[in-house]
Amino acid sequence: MNDTVRTGLEMSEPLVHLHDVAVGYDQPLIEEVDVEIQAGDVIAVLGPSGIGKTTLLRTIAGLVKPLSGHVELGVAPRGGVGYIPQRLGLVSNLSVRSNVEMGVRVSLSKWYPPFLGVPKDHQGYAQQAMEDLGIAHLADHPVRILSGGQQRRVATAKTVAQRPKLVLADEFLGELDDDNVDVVMRTVRHAIESQNSAMVMVEHHEELATQVANRIWRIKDHRLVEELTR
Amino acid sequence: MNRRTVIVGLGLAALTVHLFFDLVGDWGRVSGGVSNLGVFVRESLWPPNWSVLKAQSYPVCEARFEFTCSVAWLGVIETLKIAFVATMLGFVVALPISVMAAGNLSPTYLAVPSRILLAGMRSLPSIIWAVLFVIIFSIGTLAGIFAMTFYTVGYLGKLQFESMEGVKNAPLESAKAMGMSRMETAWLVAIPESANQLLSHVLFMFEYNVRHGTVIGLVGAGGVGLYINTYLKLGQYDKVVALLIVVFLVVLVIDFISMALRSAVNEEGDVERPTWSSIFLPASISSVQHPTPMGATQGLPESE
Repeated sequence: MNDTVRTGLEMSEPLVHLHDVAVGYDQPLIEEVDVEIQAGDVIAVLGPSGIGKTTLLRTIAGLVKPLSGHVELGVAPRGGVGYIPQRLGLVSNLSVRSNVEMGVRVSLSKWYPPFLGVPKDHQGYAQQAMEDLGIAHLADHPVRILSGGQQRRVATAKTVAQRPKLVLADEFLGELDDDNVDVVMRTVRHAIESQNSAMVMVEHHEELATQVANRIWRIKDHRLVEELTR
Repeated sequence: MNRRTVIVGLGLAALTVHLFFDLVGDWGRVSGGVSNLGVFVRESLWPPNWSVLKAQSYPVCEARFEFTCSVAWLGVIETLKIAFVATMLGFVVALPISVMAAGNLSPTYLAVPSRILLAGMRSLPSIIWAVLFVIIFSIGTLAGIFAMTFYTVGYLGKLQFESMEGVKNAPLESAKAMGMSRMETAWLVAIPESANQLLSHVLFMFEYNVRHGTVIGLVGAGGVGLYINTYLKLGQYDKVVALLIVVFLVVLVIDFISMALRSAVNEEGDVERPTWSSIFLPASISSVQHPTPMGATQGLPESE
């Protein structure tokens, strides 16, 4: 990726390294993507609709195979990546608590029986995340009866409780009012800093994105261009 | 409607009519059929013989309510028991198979054999399963339970894996990206997300099994069908009609309970709580205003 400017601390092993990746389904949407994601990065991916931002995120998440090149993941395959899709990915028939505890569950062995509840010593992570995001009072309600904004906070709480090394969020700040954007971003930032992890967020609101991100990836003419590093 | 649709529609209609006449062949044998049916109904079927609701003369009834010693009660209760046990067993067996058969939860090498297994179990109607199990276990309820369970697994399994395949992609993708195992994804995402449909299918299957209790009983697999079979052999068609009316009423009641249960588990109002009039009367007559349920976008207060 010729246009990309990578500066800053690059001593540590990257969490993710995209090696000359072409992103897309049948046709490449973004080509020659060669970037690294380091711990502490908060990256905003910008660009008009349909240009391939979500596909890039899904490629990093391992949900879409790159058309060429390869994605090298330096985080644990189980629990290492937290993904908040545009449609949030919540289980609408389960309670808020059950959804948030799903994030905690991936820190347990994959052989831990799914029909058993999360062990008591792990429940605190879920409770703390719900309290931080102001949804603790909704813990026992099914997700399907919550408003769009409340559901977004549940999705965020699930990822915060998971404590992943890499957070991938697809327009997760939509439908939130200014106060809630502050609460959500403060909580996520705190989680990222305390876990020494990184975040890649696809965001439509450019102003908001530049406020919260320390790196900007702009998709332009089928290329990923890094605009800002601070 | 465009011209092409009209031509295709007319073509299909013409083909159907042609095949129908081709299959019937000789219309002469149909003549007099309706009047024959009238004679049969007048002389043998009607009025129903309600002695099936009275206690049998042997064995001597020692129950407090004599009705509970009647053929109708004994037959229907046995059918309900067989249908319940078979539905529950069928559900328990079908659930893991349907998880393996769902294309969005399992790899192809598991999904294809699971679908073939379900198709195989479904392709034999329950009466054929009943014949096989009557040969194995002899006449009685055990054969009925096995026959219904096998058919239930095939039928319910198909409905279940289709429901699971209809689960929205986002929760499944989120689970996959997080690294959740297939078992966790099935148990914690796919099954809860399709729970309303799964429950609805189980209730439908129970109702179906009750109705089929009359059929599998014909080959000796227990339930009310066994009594119907006996009366058919004895030519007592008026008693057969009485038992069929009883079965019809039981199915109606089960249908009502099933709809009420389905509406109780669904808070989003896609299954309306039924009224008696909505079951017995056409929708245009029985339609009533239902209050708007709490919508997904309405949300709950920010604090309590």
